[in-house]
Amino acid sequence: MRPLTEEETQTVFAKLASICGNSLKNLIAPIDNSPSADRYVFRVQKDRVYYVLLSMANLATTVARDNLLSLGTCLGKMTKTGKFKLHITALPILAEHSRYKIWIKPSGEMPFLYGGNIVKAHVGRWTEDTPEHTGIVVFSMDDRPLGFGVTARSTAEARRLAPTGMVVFRQADAGEYLRDEDSLFSSG
Amino acid sequence: MPPSRTKTIKNKHAANGSGISGSKAQRAGPMDGIVKNKKGPPPSSKPSNSKAIAAILKKRRKKTYSEKELDIPKLNMITPVGVEKPKGKKKGKVFVDDRESMNTILAMVQADKEGEIESKMIRARQMEEIREARRVESEKKEGEKQAVLDETKDSLRKKRKRAGKPAFIYTEGEDDDAMLTGGNAVKAKKKRVSFA
Repeated sequence: MRPLTEEETQTVFAKLASICGNSLKNLIAPIDNSPSADRYVFRVQKDRVYYVLLSMANLATTVARDNLLSLGTCLGKMTKTGKFKLHITALPILAEHSRYKIWIKPSGEMPFLYGGNIVKAHVGRWTEDTPEHTGIVVFSMDDRPLGFGVTARSTAEARRLAPTGMVVFRQADAGEYLRDEDSLFSSG
Repeated sequence: MPPSRTKTIKNKHAANGSGISGSKAQRAGPMDGIVKNKKGPPPSSKPSNSKAIAAILKKRRKKTYSEKELDIPKLNMITPVGVEKPKGKKKGKVFVDDRESMNTILAMVQADKEGEIESKMIRARQMEEIREARRVESEKKEGEKQAVLDETKDSLRKKRKRAGKPAFIYTEGEDDDAMLTGGNAVKAKKKRVSFA
Protein backbone atom coordinates (compact mmCIF):
# COMPACT_ATOMS: atom_id res chain seq x y z
CA MET A 1 0.00 0.00 0.00
CA ARG A 2 1.39 3.39 -0.98
CA PRO A 3 0.21 6.94 -1.69
CA LEU A 4 -0.34 8.01 -5.29
CA THR A 5 2.42 9.59 -7.34
CA GLU A 6 1.88 12.98 -8.92
CA GLU A 7 0.95 11.53 -12.31
CA GLU A 8 -1.41 9.01 -10.79
CA THR A 9 -3.10 11.71 -8.72
CA GLN A 10 -3.62 13.73 -11.87
CA THR A 11 -5.21 10.85 -13.78
CA VAL A 12 -7.46 9.91 -10.86
CA PHE A 13 -8.63 13.48 -10.36
CA ALA A 14 -9.17 13.97 -14.09
CA LYS A 15 -11.44 10.94 -14.15
CA LEU A 16 -13.34 12.00 -11.05
CA ALA A 17 -13.70 15.55 -12.37
CA SER A 18 -15.35 14.25 -15.54
CA ILE A 19 -18.30 13.12 -13.41
CA CYS A 20 -18.10 15.32 -10.32
CA GLY A 21 -18.55 19.05 -10.14
CA ASN A 22 -16.87 21.68 -8.03
CA SER A 23 -17.66 19.83 -4.83
CA LEU A 24 -14.83 17.45 -5.67
CA LYS A 25 -12.49 19.41 -3.43
CA ASN A 26 -14.64 18.38 -0.46
CA LEU A 27 -13.37 14.85 -1.07
CA ILE A 28 -9.97 15.67 0.34
CA ALA A 29 -11.06 18.33 2.83
CA PRO A 30 -10.57 17.56 6.53
CA ILE A 31 -13.57 16.12 8.30
CA ASP A 32 -13.81 18.93 10.88
CA ASN A 33 -12.07 22.17 11.76
CA SER A 34 -9.90 20.89 14.57
CA PRO A 35 -6.12 21.17 13.97
CA SER A 36 -5.55 17.42 14.16
CA ALA A 37 -8.61 16.54 12.10
CA ASP A 38 -8.70 13.33 10.19
CA ARG A 39 -8.99 13.47 6.40
CA TYR A 40 -9.50 11.15 3.49
CA VAL A 41 -6.55 10.11 1.35
CA PHE A 42 -5.95 7.96 -1.73
CA ARG A 43 -3.92 4.78 -1.45
CA VAL A 44 -2.79 2.23 -4.03
CA GLN A 45 -2.77 -1.42 -3.07
CA LYS A 46 -1.63 -3.64 -5.92
CA ASP A 47 -3.38 -1.89 -8.82
CA ARG A 48 -6.52 -0.69 -7.00
CA VAL A 49 -7.00 2.84 -5.79
CA TYR A 50 -8.72 3.22 -2.43
CA TYR A 51 -10.30 6.26 -0.83
CA VAL A 52 -9.66 5.85 2.85
CA LEU A 53 -9.40 7.76 6.12
CA LEU A 54 -5.82 8.69 6.92
CA SER A 55 -6.04 7.14 10.40
CA MET A 56 -7.23 3.87 8.90
CA ALA A 57 -4.51 3.95 6.24
CA ASN A 58 -1.93 4.40 8.97
CA LEU A 59 -3.35 1.45 10.87
CA ALA A 60 -3.30 -0.64 7.72
CA THR A 61 0.47 -0.29 7.45
CA THR A 62 0.69 -2.99 10.08
CA VAL A 63 -0.72 -5.50 7.62
CA ALA A 64 1.70 -6.98 5.11
CA ARG A 65 1.14 -6.00 1.49
CA ASP A 66 0.42 -9.54 0.39
CA ASN A 67 -2.11 -10.04 3.14
CA LEU A 68 -3.97 -6.77 2.66
CA LEU A 69 -6.90 -7.33 0.34
CA SER A 70 -8.92 -4.13 0.60
CA LEU A 71 -9.44 -1.06 2.77
CA GLY A 72 -11.77 1.92 2.67
CA THR A 73 -13.71 2.47 -0.56
CA CYS A 74 -12.30 1.09 -3.78
CA LEU A 75 -12.55 3.80 -6.44
CA GLY A 76 -11.21 1.84 -9.36
CA LYS A 77 -8.07 0.41 -10.81
CA MET A 78 -4.98 1.71 -12.54
CA THR A 79 -4.41 -0.04 -15.83
CA LYS A 80 -0.97 -1.07 -16.98
CA THR A 81 -1.00 1.72 -19.56
CA GLY A 82 -1.36 4.27 -16.78
CA LYS A 83 -5.06 4.99 -17.21
CA PHE A 84 -7.60 4.90 -14.42
CA LYS A 85 -10.85 2.96 -14.63
CA LEU A 86 -13.68 3.78 -12.25
CA HIS A 87 -15.49 0.86 -10.65
CA ILE A 88 -19.09 0.58 -9.52
CA THR A 89 -17.79 0.59 -5.92
CA ALA A 90 -17.08 4.32 -6.33
CA LEU A 91 -20.77 5.02 -6.95
CA PRO A 92 -21.65 6.34 -3.45
CA ILE A 93 -18.91 8.98 -3.74
CA LEU A 94 -19.75 9.89 -7.34
CA ALA A 95 -23.50 10.13 -6.64
CA GLU A 96 -22.85 12.56 -3.82
CA HIS A 97 -20.71 14.93 -5.88
CA SER A 98 -22.09 14.43 -9.40
CA ARG A 99 -22.53 17.38 -11.73
CA TYR A 100 -24.99 15.85 -14.21
CA LYS A 101 -27.72 13.40 -13.29
CA ILE A 102 -30.29 11.36 -15.12
CA TRP A 103 -33.35 9.69 -13.60
CA ILE A 104 -34.75 6.66 -15.34
CA LYS A 105 -38.29 5.32 -15.24
CA PRO A 106 -39.00 2.02 -13.45
CA SER A 107 -39.47 0.40 -16.86
CA GLY A 108 -35.87 1.28 -17.73
CA GLU A 109 -34.23 0.16 -14.49
CA MET A 110 -33.94 -3.52 -15.33
CA PRO A 111 -32.48 -3.07 -18.82
CA PHE A 112 -29.88 -0.74 -17.31
CA LEU A 113 -29.04 -3.02 -14.39
CA TYR A 114 -28.51 -5.88 -16.81
CA GLY A 115 -25.82 -3.89 -18.58
CA GLY A 116 -27.74 -2.04 -21.27
CA ASN A 117 -27.40 1.54 -22.39
CA ILE A 118 -30.18 4.01 -21.68
CA VAL A 119 -32.64 4.81 -24.45
CA LYS A 120 -34.70 7.95 -24.63
CA ALA A 121 -37.94 6.16 -23.88
CA HIS A 122 -36.64 5.22 -20.42
CA VAL A 123 -35.58 8.69 -19.35
CA GLY A 124 -37.74 10.17 -16.61
CA ARG A 125 -35.86 13.46 -16.38
CA TRP A 126 -32.33 14.75 -16.57
CA THR A 127 -30.19 17.75 -15.82
CA GLU A 128 -30.78 20.61 -18.19
CA ASP A 129 -27.91 21.74 -20.43
CA THR A 130 -25.94 18.52 -20.27
CA PRO A 131 -23.31 18.43 -23.00
CA GLU A 132 -22.57 15.26 -24.96
CA HIS A 133 -19.79 12.82 -24.05
CA THR A 134 -19.63 13.84 -20.43
CA GLY A 135 -19.91 11.74 -17.27
CA ILE A 136 -23.36 11.34 -15.77
CA VAL A 137 -24.75 9.46 -12.78
CA VAL A 138 -27.88 7.38 -13.26
CA PHE A 139 -30.61 7.40 -10.62
CA SER A 140 -33.94 5.65 -10.28
CA MET A 141 -37.01 7.86 -9.99
CA ASP A 142 -36.87 7.53 -6.19
CA ASP A 143 -33.30 8.94 -6.15
CA ARG A 144 -31.38 5.71 -5.67
CA PRO A 145 -28.07 5.73 -7.56
CA LEU A 146 -27.94 2.82 -10.02
CA GLY A 147 -24.74 3.44 -11.92
CA PHE A 148 -22.95 5.88 -14.14
CA GLY A 149 -22.09 6.40 -17.76
CA VAL A 150 -21.34 8.88 -20.51
CA THR A 151 -23.93 10.95 -22.36
CA ALA A 152 -24.37 10.08 -26.02
CA ARG A 153 -26.21 13.32 -26.88
CA SER A 154 -26.70 16.70 -25.37
CA THR A 155 -30.12 17.48 -23.90
CA ALA A 156 -31.02 19.70 -26.84
CA GLU A 157 -30.18 16.99 -29.36
CA ALA A 158 -31.89 14.30 -27.33
CA ARG A 159 -35.20 16.18 -27.61
CA ARG A 160 -35.34 15.49 -31.31
CA LEU A 161 -34.27 11.89 -30.88
CA ALA A 162 -36.51 8.88 -31.55
CA PRO A 163 -37.68 6.96 -28.44
CA THR A 164 -35.31 4.10 -29.25
CA GLY A 165 -32.27 6.37 -29.63
CA MET A 166 -29.50 6.07 -27.05
CA VAL A 167 -28.90 8.93 -24.68
CA VAL A 168 -26.42 7.42 -22.20
CA PHE A 169 -23.70 4.83 -22.70
CA ARG A 170 -23.33 2.66 -19.62
CA GLN A 171 -19.96 2.47 -17.88
CA ALA A 172 -20.90 0.77 -14.63
CA ASP A 173 -24.15 -0.34 -13.03
CA ALA A 174 -25.16 -1.85 -9.71
CA GLY A 175 -25.77 -5.20 -11.43
CA GLU A 176 -21.99 -5.64 -11.58
CA TYR A 177 -22.00 -6.54 -7.90
CA LEU A 178 -23.57 -9.81 -9.00
CA ARG A 179 -22.23 -10.19 -12.51
CA ASP A 180 -18.60 -9.40 -11.72
CA GLU A 181 -18.57 -10.72 -8.17
CA ASP A 182 -15.42 -12.74 -8.79
CA SER A 183 -13.27 -10.08 -10.35
CA LEU A 184 -14.56 -6.95 -8.65
CA PHE A 185 -12.52 -7.21 -5.47
CA SER A 186 -9.73 -9.66 -6.13
CA SER A 187 -6.80 -7.84 -7.63
CA GLY A 188 -4.77 -10.88 -8.49
CA MET B 1 84.44 -3.72 -34.80
CA PRO B 2 81.79 -6.39 -35.37
CA PRO B 3 78.71 -5.38 -37.29
CA SER B 4 75.82 -4.48 -35.13
CA ARG B 5 72.92 -6.84 -34.92
CA THR B 6 70.28 -6.45 -37.58
CA LYS B 7 66.71 -5.91 -36.55
CA THR B 8 63.49 -6.85 -38.26
CA ILE B 9 61.14 -3.91 -38.36
CA LYS B 10 57.49 -4.61 -38.89
CA ASN B 11 56.48 -1.02 -39.33
CA LYS B 12 59.26 1.21 -40.38
CA HIS B 13 57.18 4.32 -39.90
CA ALA B 14 56.78 3.47 -36.35
CA ALA B 15 60.46 2.82 -36.01
CA ASN B 16 61.24 5.71 -33.85
CA GLY B 17 58.25 5.82 -31.71
CA SER B 18 55.36 3.53 -31.26
CA GLY B 19 53.77 6.18 -29.19
CA ILE B 20 54.40 4.22 -26.07
CA SER B 21 56.98 5.80 -23.89
CA GLY B 22 59.61 3.44 -22.60
CA SER B 23 58.96 0.83 -25.29
CA LYS B 24 61.75 -1.13 -26.92
CA ALA B 25 61.67 0.94 -30.08
CA GLN B 26 61.82 4.09 -28.13
CA ARG B 27 64.74 2.98 -26.10
CA ALA B 28 66.71 1.85 -29.15
CA GLY B 29 68.73 4.47 -30.92
CA PRO B 30 68.28 5.79 -34.46
CA MET B 31 68.01 3.02 -37.03
CA ASP B 32 71.14 3.81 -39.04
CA GLY B 33 72.82 0.55 -38.22
CA ILE B 34 75.44 2.13 -36.08
CA VAL B 35 75.12 1.90 -32.43
CA LYS B 36 77.26 4.16 -30.41
CA ASN B 37 77.96 4.00 -26.85
CA LYS B 38 76.22 6.91 -25.40
CA LYS B 39 77.98 8.88 -22.90
CA GLY B 40 75.30 10.72 -21.15
CA PRO B 41 75.87 12.81 -18.11
CA PRO B 42 76.56 10.64 -15.20
CA PRO B 43 73.65 10.18 -12.88
CA SER B 44 74.00 12.77 -10.29
CA SER B 45 73.81 11.30 -6.96
CA LYS B 46 74.16 14.56 -5.23
CA PRO B 47 71.55 15.31 -2.59
CA SER B 48 71.32 18.92 -3.80
CA ASN B 49 69.68 17.76 -7.05
CA SER B 50 66.91 15.68 -5.45
CA LYS B 51 64.65 18.68 -5.14
CA ALA B 52 64.91 19.45 -8.83
CA ILE B 53 64.10 15.84 -9.71
CA ALA B 54 61.07 15.91 -7.52
CA ALA B 55 59.94 19.08 -9.26
CA ILE B 56 60.42 17.47 -12.70
CA LEU B 57 58.50 14.40 -11.58
CA LYS B 58 55.73 16.59 -10.34
CA LYS B 59 55.54 18.36 -13.63
CA ARG B 60 55.36 15.12 -15.56
CA ARG B 61 52.68 13.59 -13.42
CA LYS B 62 49.60 15.09 -14.97
CA LYS B 63 46.14 14.20 -13.88
CA THR B 64 44.72 11.39 -15.94
CA TYR B 65 41.02 11.34 -16.58
CA SER B 66 39.02 8.19 -16.85
CA GLU B 67 36.46 7.83 -19.65
CA LYS B 68 33.61 8.31 -17.25
CA GLU B 69 34.98 11.54 -15.92
CA LEU B 70 35.41 13.06 -19.37
CA ASP B 71 31.76 12.51 -20.19
CA ILE B 72 32.50 12.01 -23.90
CA PRO B 73 29.51 10.90 -25.92
CA LYS B 74 29.86 7.30 -26.93
CA LEU B 75 30.08 6.68 -30.64
CA ASN B 76 28.04 4.21 -32.60
CA MET B 77 25.75 3.50 -29.75
CA ILE B 78 22.12 4.08 -29.23
CA THR B 79 20.87 4.62 -25.72
CA PRO B 80 17.12 4.18 -25.44
CA VAL B 81 15.32 7.00 -23.68
CA GLY B 82 14.10 4.82 -20.88
CA VAL B 83 17.53 3.36 -20.15
CA GLU B 84 19.36 6.64 -19.81
CA LYS B 85 19.15 7.72 -16.25
CA PRO B 86 19.37 11.39 -15.39
CA LYS B 87 22.42 12.32 -13.38
CA GLY B 88 22.06 13.50 -9.86
CA LYS B 89 18.39 12.56 -9.61
CA LYS B 90 16.95 10.45 -6.88
CA LYS B 91 15.74 7.00 -7.71
CA GLY B 92 12.14 5.95 -7.15
CA LYS B 93 8.67 7.49 -7.14
CA VAL B 94 7.68 10.85 -5.75
CA PHE B 95 4.52 10.53 -3.72
CA VAL B 96 1.92 13.20 -3.23
CA ASP B 97 0.28 12.97 0.12
CA ASP B 98 0.05 16.45 1.59
CA ARG B 99 -3.16 18.42 1.22
CA GLU B 100 -1.62 21.47 -0.42
CA SER B 101 -0.10 19.71 -3.39
CA MET B 102 -3.24 17.58 -3.78
CA ASN B 103 -5.33 20.74 -3.83
CA THR B 104 -3.04 22.29 -6.42
CA ILE B 105 -3.32 19.27 -8.72
CA LEU B 106 -7.08 19.16 -8.18
CA ALA B 107 -7.46 22.86 -9.00
CA MET B 108 -5.45 22.43 -12.19
CA VAL B 109 -7.42 19.40 -13.31
CA GLN B 110 -10.74 21.05 -12.50
CA ALA B 111 -9.84 24.21 -14.39
CA ASP B 112 -9.01 22.04 -17.40
CA LYS B 113 -12.31 20.17 -17.18
CA GLU B 114 -14.30 23.35 -16.68
CA GLY B 115 -12.77 24.82 -19.80
CA GLU B 116 -13.50 21.64 -21.72
CA ILE B 117 -17.14 21.53 -20.63
CA GLU B 118 -17.57 25.24 -21.23
CA SER B 119 -16.22 24.98 -24.76
CA LYS B 120 -18.45 21.97 -25.37
CA MET B 121 -21.49 23.92 -24.20
CA ILE B 122 -20.61 26.94 -26.30
CA ARG B 123 -20.08 24.75 -29.34
CA ALA B 124 -23.38 22.95 -28.72
CA ARG B 125 -25.19 26.29 -28.42
CA GLN B 126 -23.65 27.59 -31.61
CA MET B 127 -24.57 24.42 -33.45
CA GLU B 128 -28.10 24.71 -32.11
CA GLU B 129 -28.33 28.30 -33.33
CA ILE B 130 -27.06 27.31 -36.77
CA ARG B 131 -29.54 24.46 -36.93
CA GLU B 132 -32.38 26.74 -35.90
CA ALA B 133 -31.41 29.33 -38.52
CA ARG B 134 -31.26 26.63 -41.20
CA ARG B 135 -34.64 25.29 -40.15
CA VAL B 136 -36.22 28.74 -40.33
CA GLU B 137 -34.64 29.34 -43.72
CA SER B 138 -35.82 26.03 -45.14
CA GLU B 139 -39.31 26.66 -43.75
CA LYS B 140 -39.37 30.04 -45.39
CA LYS B 141 -38.25 28.59 -48.70
CA GLU B 142 -40.84 25.87 -48.43
CA GLY B 143 -43.52 28.47 -47.73
CA GLU B 144 -42.48 30.52 -50.74
CA LYS B 145 -42.55 27.48 -52.95
CA GLN B 146 -45.97 26.55 -51.66
CA ALA B 147 -47.21 30.12 -52.28
CA VAL B 148 -45.97 30.04 -55.87
CA LEU B 149 -47.56 26.66 -56.38
CA ASP B 150 -50.87 27.86 -54.96
CA GLU B 151 -50.75 30.92 -57.14
CA THR B 152 -50.17 28.87 -60.25
CA LYS B 153 -52.95 26.54 -59.23
CA ASP B 154 -55.31 29.44 -58.68
CA SER B 155 -54.43 31.06 -61.95
CA LEU B 156 -55.00 27.81 -63.76
CA ARG B 157 -58.37 27.41 -62.09
CA LYS B 158 -59.37 30.97 -63.05
CA LYS B 159 -58.35 30.33 -66.63
CA ARG B 160 -60.39 27.21 -66.65
CA LYS B 161 -63.32 29.09 -65.21
CA ARG B 162 -63.07 31.74 -67.89
CA ALA B 163 -62.61 29.20 -70.63
CA GLY B 164 -65.24 26.88 -69.38
CA LYS B 165 -67.98 29.41 -68.61
CA PRO B 166 -70.34 27.94 -71.19
CA ALA B 167 -69.83 24.61 -69.56
CA PHE B 168 -71.39 25.98 -66.44
CA ILE B 169 -74.27 27.39 -68.43
CA TYR B 170 -74.50 24.13 -70.16
CA THR B 171 -77.51 22.15 -69.06
CA GLU B 172 -78.35 18.58 -69.69
CA GLY B 173 -81.01 19.27 -72.24
CA GLU B 174 -78.74 21.22 -74.52
CA ASP B 175 -76.67 19.74 -77.25
CA ASP B 176 -72.98 19.15 -76.67
CA ASP B 177 -72.21 20.93 -79.89
CA ALA B 178 -73.33 24.21 -78.44
CA MET B 179 -70.34 24.26 -76.15
CA LEU B 180 -68.05 23.18 -78.90
CA THR B 181 -69.33 25.78 -81.30
CA GLY B 182 -69.03 28.38 -78.61
CA GLY B 183 -65.42 27.40 -78.17
CA ASN B 184 -64.84 27.32 -81.87
CA ALA B 185 -66.41 30.72 -82.34
CA VAL B 186 -63.82 32.27 -80.09
CA LYS B 187 -61.07 30.50 -81.89
CA ALA B 188 -62.44 31.45 -85.32
CA LYS B 189 -61.79 35.10 -84.60
CA LYS B 190 -58.09 34.50 -84.68
CA LYS B 191 -56.35 35.66 -87.81
CA ARG B 192 -54.84 32.96 -89.77
CA VAL B 193 -52.33 32.84 -92.54
CA SER B 194 -52.24 29.96 -94.85
CA PHE B 195 -50.14 29.11 -97.79
CA ALA B 196 -51.91 27.48 -100.59
